Amino acid sequence: MIEFSGVNKWFGSLHVLQDISLTVAKGEVVVVCGPSGSGKSTLIRCINGLEPFESGRLLVDGTDLSNRKALLKLRSEVGFVFQSFNLYPHKTALENVTLAPIHVRRLGRAQAEERGRALLEKVGLADKMGSYPHQLSGGQQQRVAIARSLCMQPKIMLFDEPTSALDPEMINEVLDVMVGLAREGMTMMVVTHEMGFARKVADRVIFMDRGAIVETAPPERFFTAPAHARTRDFLSKILQH
Amino acid sequence: MVWFYLERIFGYWPVLLKGMGMTIGLSLLSLVIGVVIGFGFGIIRAGHNRWLSRVLGLYIDFFRGTPFLVQVFIAFFILPVIGIELSAFAAGVVALSNMAACFIGEIVAAGLKAVPSGQSEAAIASGMTRAQQMRLVVMPQAVRIITPSLVGQFVLLIKDSSVVSAIGLLDLTRAGWLIVQSVPNGLLVFGIVGLGYFIICYPLIHLSRRLERRSQAAFL
Repeated sequence: MIEFSGVNKWFGSLHVLQDISLTVAKGEVVVVCGPSGSGKSTLIRCINGLEPFESGRLLVDGTDLSNRKALLKLRSEVGFVFQSFNLYPHKTALENVTLAPIHVRRLGRAQAEERGRALLEKVGLADKMGSYPHQLSGGQQQRVAIARSLCMQPKIMLFDEPTSALDPEMINEVLDVMVGLAREGMTMMVVTHEMGFARKVADRVIFMDRGAIVETAPPERFFTAPAHARTRDFLSKILQH
Repeated sequence: MVWFYLERIFGYWPVLLKGMGMTIGLSLLSLVIGVVIGFGFGIIRAGHNRWLSRVLGLYIDFFRGTPFLVQVFIAFFILPVIGIELSAFAAGVVALSNMAACFIGEIVAAGLKAVPSGQSEAAIASGMTRAQQMRLVVMPQAVRIITPSLVGQFVLLIKDSSVVSAIGLLDLTRAGWLIVQSVPNGLLVFGIVGLGYFIICYPLIHLSRRLERRSQAAFL
């Protein structure tokens, strides 16, 4: 479904993605972790073309990312959830969810709203359809954002630190939605430090450092017997307490 | 004595009314043209094409940095030299709407840049085209941000329209000049002229203040 081969990216002289090769199969859930500045956000932002890259090849759902013309179509097939939610503040929850289906997918308003309502119900926000983002808590906003992506019926869902901007008591309501999604068989790449989530649903965990993939392993092995010293060092820092 | 002058001034009501009509008509027409072009300018100024944005920026700065009276003279006296012959009214509309477009362009550009980049990223990620991002996501938010300053700009435009009396257009100011020839009380005559402008502008000032309060309340 997603296939990086030899992808390199620089920000000026900073080599933010170093020779990335990685394949994600359909239905797979991959968690990406690593210290800040390790390139993990940049990695998943490449997948829907939010970040261009300088060399290498990236195939997503059979589309070559260097084909800028196919990019619009591809983006409508790939959901993206941001750390800071990025809901449209001038639209209600339901309007946020239905905007792209109506204008990008060309779905009729009634049909889009039906789909949108069902999804908002699914993420537990049946009573918040008419609320504006500023009337919602962080956890509720992020759940609307997930519903907004799902309403496009994407083939892949990307999450860029979806719980990092949330108060601790709201993290689980968002993770629960994501766990449900993973169990339904969605292809997902998730940048997160929520190791409980990784243990529960990830097929593979990837550790990145300084723009390179250091280690890839199933969660069991990743947490109990990491092969690299840098992975051990990182895990000891985030799992200390 | 005051009453005597007042009576005589109001004897000229058809001229005053005509002048007021001209001021309103000229301002309104220039406003509409200025807003349309100004939004175009703003989109280019805030856009990705740096070269185009810079050239337009230079053009805008020229008109923001020269007196409006000079711009009116350029439209009326200098354009004919290069073969563009304009009536006084057309020259007034051209000069006024051009200046409005320049100021509005910068306001719109500032508004567009004030919309957080996460907004257009969310729109991009959902597969929207550039035009859709602008129309559905970024512009509606920018318009909310800039509406108070936009209405404030309308007030300035109406007041600046008085300058077109210099090329002989019979607007409210010009009506004052005509009346003062036969009613030698400048204070009274231009007091009434000023009152005329105030009557047009005050509701707008009021509106701008209300919108400002509301836009501060939004998004919280």
